[in-house]
Amino acid sequence: MTILSIRDLKVDYATQDGTVEAVDGVSLDVAEGQHLGLIGESGCGKTTLLKAIVQVLPRNGRVVSGKIMFKGMDLLQLPPAEMRQLRWREIATIPQASMDSLNPVQRVGSQLMKLLRIRGGYDKRAARRRAADLFDLVGLDTDRLMHYPHEFSGGMKQRAVIAMALALEPSLLIADEPVTALDVIVQHQILEVLRELEAELNLTVMLITHDISVVAQVCDSVAVMYAGRIVEQAAAEPFFHAPAHPYSLGLQQAFPNLANPRDELVSIEGYPPDLREPPSGCRFAERCPFVQADCHEIDPRLELVADERLAACLRSGEMESLRKQAEDPALWQQVEVAQGFASTPNPSRHPYGGHPIKREGLTSPMPSDKSFTPSVGDGDGGWGGDNGEPLLEMRAVSKQFKIGGGLAGLLRGDKEQTVYAVNNISFSLRRGESLGLAGESGCGKSTTGKLLVKLLDASDGEILFDGADLAHLDSDDLLDFRSRSQLMFQNPFEALNPRFTLYRSLTEPLIIHGWKDENQRLQRVVETLDRVNLRPAEVFLDKYPHQLSGGQLQRVVLARALVLHPEFLVADEPVSMLDVSVRAGILNTTRRLARELGLATVYISHDLSLLQYTCDRIAIMYLGEIVEMGPSLEVINNPQHPYTQALIAAVPVPDPTVENPPLRIQEGVPRPTERFIGCPFAQRCPEVMEACLNIRPPAITDEGRHMAQCHLYGEQRDSPKVKRSPEATAAG
Amino acid sequence: MQQEAMAREGSTGLPAAEFRQGSALRQLWETNLEVFQRDRMALFGLIVFAIFALVALFAPILAPNDPLTPLKNNDGDWIKDALPYWLAEPGEDVAEGYTNDFLLGTTNIGRDIFSQLIHGSRAALLVGFSAAAAVAVIGTVIGLLAGFYGGWVDSVLMRAADVAFGIPFIPFIIVIAAFFDPSIWNVVIAMAILLWRDTGRVIRSQVLVIKEQAFVSAARVSGASNLRIIFVYIAPSILPLSFLYGSFAIAWAILTEASVSFLGFSDPETISWGFMLQDAFLSLALTRGAFYWIIPPGLCIMLTVMAGFFIGRGYEEVLFPRLRRM
Amino acid sequence: MNRGVITYIAGRFLQSVMVLWIIVTLLFLLFRLAPSNPLASYIDTTFTKEQEAALLARFGLDKPLGEQYIIYLLNLARFELGDTFSYSGKSVLDILSADLPNTIYLTLSSLLVAYGVGVLGGILMAALRGSLFERVGTTFTLMTRAAPTFWVGMLLLTFFAFQWKLLPSAGIAPAMVRFRWETEWDKLLSPVFWRHMILPTFTLAVYLHGLPLLLMRSNMLEVLDQDYVTMSRLAGYSEWRVMIQTAARNAMLPVLTALTLGIGYSIGGNVVIENVFSWPGLGRTLVRAVQQADYPLAQGAFFLIALIIVFMNFIADILYSLLDPRVGASAQAQVS
Repeated sequence: MTILSIRDLKVDYATQDGTVEAVDGVSLDVAEGQHLGLIGESGCGKTTLLKAIVQVLPRNGRVVSGKIMFKGMDLLQLPPAEMRQLRWREIATIPQASMDSLNPVQRVGSQLMKLLRIRGGYDKRAARRRAADLFDLVGLDTDRLMHYPHEFSGGMKQRAVIAMALALEPSLLIADEPVTALDVIVQHQILEVLRELEAELNLTVMLITHDISVVAQVCDSVAVMYAGRIVEQAAAEPFFHAPAHPYSLGLQQAFPNLANPRDELVSIEGYPPDLREPPSGCRFAERCPFVQADCHEIDPRLELVADERLAACLRSGEMESLRKQAEDPALWQQVEVAQGFASTPNPSRHPYGGHPIKREGLTSPMPSDKSFTPSVGDGDGGWGGDNGEPLLEMRAVSKQFKIGGGLAGLLRGDKEQTVYAVNNISFSLRRGESLGLAGESGCGKSTTGKLLVKLLDASDGEILFDGADLAHLDSDDLLDFRSRSQLMFQNPFEALNPRFTLYRSLTEPLIIHGWKDENQRLQRVVETLDRVNLRPAEVFLDKYPHQLSGGQLQRVVLARALVLHPEFLVADEPVSMLDVSVRAGILNTTRRLARELGLATVYISHDLSLLQYTCDRIAIMYLGEIVEMGPSLEVINNPQHPYTQALIAAVPVPDPTVENPPLRIQEGVPRPTERFIGCPFAQRCPEVMEACLNIRPPAITDEGRHMAQCHLYGEQRDSPKVKRSPEATAAG
Repeated sequence: MQQEAMAREGSTGLPAAEFRQGSALRQLWETNLEVFQRDRMALFGLIVFAIFALVALFAPILAPNDPLTPLKNNDGDWIKDALPYWLAEPGEDVAEGYTNDFLLGTTNIGRDIFSQLIHGSRAALLVGFSAAAAVAVIGTVIGLLAGFYGGWVDSVLMRAADVAFGIPFIPFIIVIAAFFDPSIWNVVIAMAILLWRDTGRVIRSQVLVIKEQAFVSAARVSGASNLRIIFVYIAPSILPLSFLYGSFAIAWAILTEASVSFLGFSDPETISWGFMLQDAFLSLALTRGAFYWIIPPGLCIMLTVMAGFFIGRGYEEVLFPRLRRM
Repeated sequence: MNRGVITYIAGRFLQSVMVLWIIVTLLFLLFRLAPSNPLASYIDTTFTKEQEAALLARFGLDKPLGEQYIIYLLNLARFELGDTFSYSGKSVLDILSADLPNTIYLTLSSLLVAYGVGVLGGILMAALRGSLFERVGTTFTLMTRAAPTFWVGMLLLTFFAFQWKLLPSAGIAPAMVRFRWETEWDKLLSPVFWRHMILPTFTLAVYLHGLPLLLMRSNMLEVLDQDYVTMSRLAGYSEWRVMIQTAARNAMLPVLTALTLGIGYSIGGNVVIENVFSWPGLGRTLVRAVQQADYPLAQGAFFLIALIIVFMNFIADILYSLLDPRVGASAQAQVS
C-alpha cells in the first residue's frame, strides 16, 4: 500500500540572484514497509524535498505546484494546525546535522519525555518508562537519560535522535544523512540499529544520503536525484547490479570500493547546472559521456524502462552496452565540460625539471603472495628497492598536549591534563612514495600530519627531513624546509584567505621565498593552475574563493601546495568535504601529480578505500600509535591487527548483496588522556588476552614489510584470553 | 557563480599585475565602502559626523557671539533669559522678553545659547574621536597580542581586562577629573585606560578563531613569519572589527563627556553640550520650562551618539550577516 | 552539581579576590599619589605646623607609604573605611550604609522594568523580523540608548514635576516624612517613597531597556537558526512552544548574565541620575565627596561600588555555569 505519494512537486527558493527551482517536477511513491534510499549530491534538492514534505521550508522557499499525498491526505492542503499534529506522530524526521538537534541545555531524557508527554499524551510515569524502553531499543544505557547532550559522543547523540524519532511510533521515518560525519565504526553501528529497527518495527523509511554504500546497506529500493529531478528509481539489487542512468553509472564508478578496487576512478567532470536557469534539455547532458545532439533539446521524462524500473534517459534502450563502456575512466574525460581541463597524464614529461624521480617499484603495490612470517623488528622496515636514503623519517616520535592548567586554568579551576596525541611512532618515506594514515577521529593522524610539516613540534623523538632534524633547524634551514614540504587541507572553504584573490593566495608562498620578479611569479602561478586542471588559468587569477565551487577550491589548494615545487606533501582528508562526483577528480589529479613530480606523499583519511586507492602503504593508527602498517593491498586484504580487521569490516560496501559482518568491537575511543601499560586497544579488543593488559605488544614485522603491533603474533600469543561480560564490551 | 567561473571565456591576455594584488588595504577600503553603500543608516551617521565636524571646524565663524561672554543690549543691560522670537505668540509684543537677535535665546546670565551650541560640537567631536581612536587602537593591539601569542602574554592581558571590567567607569572618571586639572582630556584618558576591555576581548577571541583557520596554517607551512601572519593575514580581518568598536566608542565617549560635564567636572572655560545642560539645570531652567535651552543640546548629543551607533551597526551587519538575515 | 562546577566556582572566586586586590591597590595609589594634598580641604590657613602634623597622624598619613598600604588593606578587609572629612563625626561606613539601600532600590526597580520590557520586546522583534514595526522599534530603542539619561530625566522632570506637577521632583521624601521612618521597612512601606521613585526609575529604565532588547533580539535570531529549534518544529510542537520554551529559553541565558552584570554596573552608573533627582544614594555621595575633597568618603564609595561590580561579575559567571551545563565541563570538552 502506498503511504506517501508525491506528484509533480515543484519547489522554488527566492534568492538575491533569481529564483532557484530546487525541486522541479518530482514524483515519487513510498509503499508501506518500504526502505527507500534517496541518493544525490549537495544541491540536488533532496533535503528540499524532505522539507517540503514536512513543510518546514525556509522563508524564501515555497511549493509552486504539485501534490504530496500522505495516507490519502494532501499535505499541502492541510491547515497548519493539522499538519503540526501529523509531524512526529505520523512522519518523524531525523534532520541533517542531527548531532546538533538536541537542546544543549536540557537533559536528553527530559527532551524525550517532554516529547512523549506533549506530543504523545503520555503521563509522567508512562513517559519515563517509554523513554527508558526507547533508550534500550537504540542501544543506549538508560542511565544516560539524565545526561546532557554534550556528555554524549557523536554516535550516542545519533542514537538518541533515533530514539526520539521512534518515540511516537510514526508510520514514516525520514532520515537525512543519518551517518554522515560519523566515524566508520560508529557509522556501522548506527546502520546496524537502523537495520534492526526496520525489521523489528516494520518501519517505512526514507533515507536521504549522498553515500550509495549506506543505501546499499539499509535500503531495499533507490531513487537518484540530480538537479532537482529524479533520474532513476529502482529496487536496490537491480540498481546496484545494473544502473539505468548514466549519472548513476558514474556515481557507482566514482566510489572507491574496498571489495572491488579499481586502478583509476571515474571522475564525473563538471558541476550540476545552475538551477536558476536550468537547461532545456537533459540536465546531465553537459557531464554525460553518452551525450547525443538531441539530449540538449529533449528533456527526458522519467519512464518505465523495465519491470518496476524508472529512468530518465533518451538512451535507456542501449543501457546494456553503455554500462560496459562506462567502466573506462577515460571515457568520462571526454565530456564537453572536461575539455576545459582535459587531463593527459604523461609521466615521462617532467616540465618542472626539479628533482630526480625515483619510481622503481612504485607503479603497483608489492605482490602479496608471501605468507605472513612473523619476526620482531623495529616496526618500520625498508620499502621497495634500495633506491637511496629516505626523504623523511620519524623516529619514535611522540606528541603530548597540556590542556587546562597554567595561570588561567588554575584560576578557572581547570585541572591540567595531558593528551597523548601521538605515541612513539616511527616510519620513513622515500621520494615518490605515498603513505596513508588511517584511524578513527582522535587517533592522532592529523597531529602526525602537523608534526610532519612542522606546524607542531614533537615532544619526544626525532623527525628527520633529508637527514636534518626538524627540531633543530636554523631560520634559513627552516625556510628551505618550508619550500620543500607542503600541506593540503581538509576544508577547501577555509584553506584560502577569503580576502585574497586566488592569484594573491598562490603568489604568497613565492613572495615569502624571495621570488622578486612579478612576471616570473605570474608565470609559475599560471603554470601550476594549469597543472591542477584549472583551465584556462587566467580566468581564475582574479577570483575570490567564494566565487568557486568546493572542487575547484580544492584544486586551488593543491596548486598552492605545489607552487613552490615541494618534495613532500601531506594531504589531510583532501576530499572529505567534497561531493562524491568531484572527489575522484581531485584524487586522480593529486595522485597523478605526485607521481609525475616524484613527491613523497602522506594521505590522512578516515576512509580506507580512499587510501587503498591512493597509497602504496597504509598505516593504521589507534590512540596515537601505529598498530599496523604495510603495503596497501596487504593491509586491506590481509589485516593482522584486530583493530584493522574491525575498521575494514565496518566499511559499508556499495553492494546490497554483500552484507557487512557484525562488528566485534563497540564504538567509543577512550580519551587519550591516559597512558596504557599494555596494549591501547585492549579495552575494546575482541581477542584480548591477559598479556595485552599489562605488557606492551611488540611490533611484529613480516620480512620488513607488513608490521602489526599485537600480542597475537608474538611470544605472548598463548596468553590466556580475558573473559569479558558482554555488558563490559557494550558500555562504549 | 561556479558556472560563471567555468563558462567565462578566458581572455588569454594577462590582467594588469597590480590589480591582482588584492591588497589588504584595498580589501579594507572595500569593506568600509560596503558598509556605507549597503546601510543607509550608516551613511546617515557618516553625514551627521561630517556636518558636525564642519560646524566644529568653523565654529568661531558660524557662532554669532562669544559663547562665554554675557551679552548686553544697547542700553548696557544684561540680556538675561531672553526667549527666542519664534516662541512668541502671534501678536505678542516681541520686545517684551523676546529677542530677535538670538536664535535660541540667552541663558540666565545672558550668554547666547545658539553660539554655545555651535561651540559645544568641538568638545563632543574632539572627545568622541580621540577617545574612540585610543580605545580602538589599545583594544586592537592588546587583543592581537593576547590572541596571537597566547600563554602568559594572554593571561596577563586578560587579567588586566578583568581588572578594567571591575572598575566602575563613571566614578573612575569623576575621580580622575577631580585629581587632575579640569580638562576634556580627562575623559579621553579615563576612557583609554578602561574601555579597551570590550574591544580587547572581542578582538582576542576573533584572533583566536582566525589563527586556527586553515589559511593561516597554510601561510605558516609556506614559511610566513609571525609578523607577516599578523599583518598580512590577521590584521586585515580584524580591522573592520576595530572600526566597529571604534564607532561605538565615539558614541560612548560623547555620552560620557556629556555626563561628566553635567556633573560639573569639566573645564568651565570649555563649552560643551553637557556643560550647557548643567548650566540650565542649576539655573532652574526646568522649573521655568525653558525648552529652548534644554532641548537643543540634548538633541545634538543624541544625534551624534546615534550617528556612532548607526555606523557601528553598519559594520556589524557587514561583519556578522546573521543578524541582518530577514 | 558535580565537582567540576565546584572547582570552577572556587577558581572564579579566587580570581575575583585577586581582581579586587588589584583594584584596591590602584585605588590606594591613585589617592595617595594624587597631585593635591589629601588634607587640602581640611587644613585651613590658620593651622599651625603642629596641628597639621597631628592631623596627618590622625589619618595615618605620616607613616611610610608601604606601612600605610598594609594598614589600608587590613582596614578594608575589616571593612573599616575611616572617618569622613566633611560630615563631622560620622564614619564613612555610616554614610555609605545609609546610601546603599537607596541606590539598590533604584537599581533593582529600574532593571526589573527594563529587562521585563526588553526581553519581551526582543522576542517580539525577533518574531517580527523584517517588518516595519521591527525597524521602527529598533530605531526607537537606539534613540533611547543615544539620549543622555540626565537629559531624559530633565525632560521628564520638566513635564511631570514642574509643568503638570504630577510627581515629586527630588529626593526620596520630604524631610517631615523621612523623619518618621525609623527602619528600612517604614521607608519601603511608605507610598511617598514609591512616588518619589517613579521618575528616576522610569528614566533609568528608558535607557537600560535597550541592551536586553537588542541582545534578546539577536540571540533569538541566532537560536532560531539552530538545529535543535528546527528539530522542535519538526517534532510538531506549537509555534508558541518553539518560540518561548525552546528558543527564548536558550536565548535568555546571555540576557540573564547581562542582567547580573547590569546590577553591578548600574550601581556605578546611577551617579548621574542620582544627581538629577537628588536621590540620596552612593553616586550622589561620591560626587559630593569628590567635590568637597573628602578623600576617605570618596575612596570608600569607590571601593564599595567596585566591590559590588566585581561581586556581580563573579555571580554572573557562576550563574552562567549553572544555567548552561556545558560551561563547567569546558575542560573535558577540550579533551574529547
